[in-house]
Amino acid sequence: MRKTIFGSVILSALMAVSANAAEGKRMTVKGELIDTWCYFSGVMGGPESVVGTAHHTCAMWCAAGGIPIGLLDEDGKVYMVLKLPDDDASNGGETFLTMTNDTVEAEGMTYERDGLTYLVVSKITSNDGIPNRTHEDFGVVPGNTIPDAVVDKVLEEG
Amino acid sequence: MLKHIAMIAALVAFPVMAEEGKFAEGSQARSWNLKAQEKALFKAKVVDVLCELAGDCPPDCGGGTRQLGLLRDADDALVFPTKNGQPVFTGAATDLQLYCGKQVEVDGLLTGGDEISAGAAKLFQVQRIREIGGEWAKANRWTKDWQKANPGAKGKGPWFRRDPRIVREIEKDGYLGLGLDEDKVFIKDWY
Repeated sequence: MRKTIFGSVILSALMAVSANAAEGKRMTVKGELIDTWCYFSGVMGGPESVVGTAHHTCAMWCAAGGIPIGLLDEDGKVYMVLKLPDDDASNGGETFLTMTNDTVEAEGMTYERDGLTYLVVSKITSNDGIPNRTHEDFGVVPGNTIPDAVVDKVLEEG
Repeated sequence: MLKHIAMIAALVAFPVMAEEGKFAEGSQARSWNLKAQEKALFKAKVVDVLCELAGDCPPDCGGGTRQLGLLRDADDALVFPTKNGQPVFTGAATDLQLYCGKQVEVDGLLTGGDEISAGAAKLFQVQRIREIGGEWAKANRWTKDWQKANPGAKGKGPWFRRDPRIVREIEKDGYLGLGLDEDKVFIKDWY
């Protein structure tokens, strides 16, 4: 009897987990790790101006502030990144902060839910750094990213 | 004549209607002039998104380290909050962490979505939150927690100018992330 009850409890627990979890799909995706808030909200301008080098410092501010990072692929699809290899600290974690705007190829599980695709990365198979040199077209976004004192010092040095 | 008046009224009304989505009734959210902005007030359960989707479920929703979601009562949709109510680059997970696993009511703005990325749902900015039947609290906890965690952060200005991790990254790779020499070339060219 005790074994039956114990078995039922285990079975119920397993069923609860599977009922909670969505069906995932193993994928390899390539793209830039972006700041999702500025990209989707338009608060800093159009999407093309809030990726790459132009927005790198702001993306670090947002990542450190706990704003989710997304992987933007070549087709414009954004995967919300919930975990990077060995780091599930998606609320401002170290790996998330240090990889902002890197273009990576990532292996992992994707989950579709209510109009968003979430990505749980198990392995980064390549990292190209930040090849997206958007500062050449947009400067820095926002425009006051680099403090005046830093600009003045560089200009004075000539 | 009436048709013309109705057309003009519809055009004038459009900017307001653009904020009136399915969950706008009763919302007191302040406008941030966001892309495809929509006010939203709804009841939901605060969940650990990684747990909800992948079955990876540490205690207490990860204790503040993870992104949290809102499982909306009305339609069982998982809404993804990406921003709190502070205009200083701060997310929503820290404010939501206090309510892990609880039923809450949230008020804020939905933004983005399909206009930005084909087929995508809108993301949520939490401006205020309360347990069902409780008192409303502003979603502005992030900077208070940062101040406690970084009492020695030196310099002037807001947190993101003084955060030790960001200062370290900029000292290492510059503002563009390409190295200090690239920063100098850019500054001389752009300013």
